[in-house]
Amino acid sequence: MKVSVKKNLVVLLLTVVMALGMILTGCGKSSGGATSGAGIKVFYTSPTDDDFKLLLKNALAENAQAAGVTFDIGEQCASVNEQVAQIQQAVSSGYDLIVCLPVDRSTALQLEVSAGDLPMIFVNSSPDATYLEKDKYMAVSSYENDAGAYQAEYVWNALGKPSSFNAVLLRGQLTHNAAIGRSVAVYKYFKDNGVDVNFVFDDTANWSEDEAKDMMAIVQKTGQSFDAVFCNNDSMAIGAADYMAAHGYDLKKIPVVGVDATVGGCQSIADGKMQFTVYQSASGQAQRAIECAINLVKNGTANGIEGLSDDGLYIWVPFEKVDASNVSNYMK
Amino acid sequence: MATQNAKSKKNRKIRDKLLLLIIPAVIVTIVVLVIIASLLSRARMQEMAQSTLESSITNQADNIDGWLTENLQNFSTIKQGIEGMQPDDETLVRYLTTYVGKNTNSPNGVYVASQSGQVVKGNGADIQISNPTEQQWFKEGMSRVNMAYGSPYKNEEGQYVISASGIINDGGDIIRVAAADVTLDQISIIVNSGVKMKNASSFLVDTDDNMILAHRDENLVSTTISDTSNDPIIKCAYNKIMASDYTTVNTSGYTIAFQEVAGTNWVLVSYIADSIILADITKLSLILMGVGVIAVILITIMISIIINRVVRPLASITQHISAMSNGDFTIEIARESNDEIGVMGEQVSKFVALMRKMLSSINDESEKLKQESNNSDRVSKNMFDASQSQENAMVNLKNTVDELALAVNEIAENATTLAMVVSDTRENSNQANESMKETVEISKQGRDDMEKLSIAMDGIKNSNDALVESINEVGKASEEITKIVGLIAEIADETNLLSLNASIEAARAGEAGKGFAVVASEIGKLAQNSAASAENIARLIDDVGKAIGSVVSQAEASAENIEANSTLIHTAVDTFDRIYQNIEKSNELLDLMIQDVQKVDEVSTNVAAISEEQAASADEILETSKHMVEQARSITTSSQDVADNSHELANTSQMLTGYVQQFKISKEEGIVNEG
Repeated sequence: MKVSVKKNLVVLLLTVVMALGMILTGCGKSSGGATSGAGIKVFYTSPTDDDFKLLLKNALAENAQAAGVTFDIGEQCASVNEQVAQIQQAVSSGYDLIVCLPVDRSTALQLEVSAGDLPMIFVNSSPDATYLEKDKYMAVSSYENDAGAYQAEYVWNALGKPSSFNAVLLRGQLTHNAAIGRSVAVYKYFKDNGVDVNFVFDDTANWSEDEAKDMMAIVQKTGQSFDAVFCNNDSMAIGAADYMAAHGYDLKKIPVVGVDATVGGCQSIADGKMQFTVYQSASGQAQRAIECAINLVKNGTANGIEGLSDDGLYIWVPFEKVDASNVSNYMK
Repeated sequence: MATQNAKSKKNRKIRDKLLLLIIPAVIVTIVVLVIIASLLSRARMQEMAQSTLESSITNQADNIDGWLTENLQNFSTIKQGIEGMQPDDETLVRYLTTYVGKNTNSPNGVYVASQSGQVVKGNGADIQISNPTEQQWFKEGMSRVNMAYGSPYKNEEGQYVISASGIINDGGDIIRVAAADVTLDQISIIVNSGVKMKNASSFLVDTDDNMILAHRDENLVSTTISDTSNDPIIKCAYNKIMASDYTTVNTSGYTIAFQEVAGTNWVLVSYIADSIILADITKLSLILMGVGVIAVILITIMISIIINRVVRPLASITQHISAMSNGDFTIEIARESNDEIGVMGEQVSKFVALMRKMLSSINDESEKLKQESNNSDRVSKNMFDASQSQENAMVNLKNTVDELALAVNEIAENATTLAMVVSDTRENSNQANESMKETVEISKQGRDDMEKLSIAMDGIKNSNDALVESINEVGKASEEITKIVGLIAEIADETNLLSLNASIEAARAGEAGKGFAVVASEIGKLAQNSAASAENIARLIDDVGKAIGSVVSQAEASAENIEANSTLIHTAVDTFDRIYQNIEKSNELLDLMIQDVQKVDEVSTNVAAISEEQAASADEILETSKHMVEQARSITTSSQDVADNSHELANTSQMLTGYVQQFKISKEEGIVNEG
């Protein structure tokens, strides 16, 4: 009872927030609602919110409501166990589909087992293809490698397309697919373009602003020079940029780039610290996720949805490039 | 012979036919199944082989990852110990010494080098390091805090090693790098022995510099892969790695799988020759074929047994039906099964019972018919006999009537003769009259002529005698007529009697005798008429007789007168006048006689006419009796036909009985004759 009261409150609150948002933005870029989702019940489970996750959650609720889908949001899960329990609860409560942002993407199989016969749509953090199944367990995400490639492209252009340069790479958690995908893409971009990039520092800062600062301190201590700083997300980029700004590096000459176009990231770009970030469209992912949910429940197939991969497992939502010229568009 | 051959050709056993139909179908089905199974299992096995290979390579990659991670954690733990203790050099040496020889994968343990070129290693570590800051591992170590593996290189001992290195983050001002080595040989051992799929091989490639880190062929280790390689697998691996496409491929007779090793830039390549997979498939196909052959044999045997069981009742039914077609309806068919064949047997049984009943009643009926037709035959024979005797009687009748006619004709002739005689008599009487007149003349002329007169008187006397004689003959003839008439009357009576008999017989003959009955009654009537006519004739003849009698007496009286006259002549010549007178009187009497003779003439003419009429009647009777004979003959013919028909009927019923008796309807009748 307590949970459902809370849930109701959350829903109410979100509804109010969304309504306000819609009034202010004139419905924004949301174009959902083309397909009616009336009568469909969807449950959303996710880990503790960060900037992006909150954006995503709100966008999901917004799109669901626009399409007439009943969209209930579970409490933020601190652990896989909690998420599993939540999914099991949702199954017994008669939902048609579960939208899941996994606490740990490597536990996808466990989550799918918990969901029983219900189809699942993973958002943002997509499990390996092995654990996905066409029209049953699908992932709506952005192609992480694109983010890395966009970063590399921007930096190389910003540096004037040198044939070689030194760089620092701050990764997210080493096992995180986004961290791997984005990092590999950076390497690959330069390799493909025949650019000899010497990564004078390449280590994880665990998505963290503070750890990024620490890492930058060590880099500084090693005395190695670098021409660019690649970060797997905005938080680390903000940390690195802040550190560099504080320690006399010229951020105009040494581009610091991030991913996600979070509020902080955009602000940093607006402030002239970070130079570039990649917008992982929370609204786009949310829109596709809801569209996919309706199609799966109603028609049993996701065929025809824009961005569907050839193997039918993923729906890719393209990243958007954000720099000083357009950052204002991403700041709310 | 030919028909028999054809027959034996036609009569194949149902079992053989069914087997002939089913076995090829079964063989075809099983062959198709074997082919489909082979094809499906071929595809499936190839899929399986691929997935096994993928599973194997994933597992292997995980193992390598696990091995690397384990060692890396071991090294990281030692590094974290240094970061935590922040020891002086002496303590550091002691600390590092404790790990020397502990990890078999990295017997030298962890060593530390500072940016200033100072190297610290554990005692007993068999490692030579000069110019550490120029070393690859040091440069790599400078780029990270968390220890990670770098690229392989040849150390001062000439071994290919990979170092894990990282900055010691102890907050101090001097940057130091901790590192530890694992040899490629050890990785090769893991790679080569970690293949989970039989007959599959693996090698490990570092994608940074395309160097082979591990390979079965030791000569290839630490060489780089390239597009120009002669080995199609290596060439393929190079192209795939360049394209970062790590999906499984089939090329140059090999199935090749790729797997990135987590936490490194390494790609594990695993491959297996398709021929090895196909060998299994061939083996499986052979097994399937063997199973198919056995299945065909088993199914054939099973179907044979089943068909035998199902068809068995048919054999006895067939036997029974054969017996039945030979006319044996004594068969009993027991219901042996509860299927259509059972029903068939039962129905045949019912049919046989029905036939038996029907045949026996036909038999009875034909027996009866036979008896009846025999009776009819007999009756018709009797009738034939009767009609034949009737015919005979008729012929007799006709003959009699013939005779009658002849007799009557004779009477007529006689009567005519009589009439002519009478006419002659009148002529003679007229002549006598003339003579009388002449006598008167002569008597008148003379006495001389009295002699001549006497002679003439003698002539007259002779003529009178002849007349008397003739008249007597007429009387005789009349008597004959009377007799004949009596005979006619008798014949008429007899005919009447016969016609009565014929009527009776005709009545007995029924419808066929109707015409005959009419004829018979007609004959009766004619006979009666004949009798009546005969009576009339008799009566007339009586009259004739009487007339003759009076003529005779008159003639006798005249004779006496003549005699007296002669005496008178002889005695008295003078008494001529008296004589003359007497002669006159005689003449008158002669005239009277002539008148009487005329009367006789008339009567005899009448008799002749009547006799002719009678003769005509007799002719009529003859015609009728001829007709009657014809009728009787046709009756005979008809009754012959009737007899023939009834005989034929009798034969037919005989034949029917014969046919029916060909069917055997009771067991006691014994052997059934064929055909």
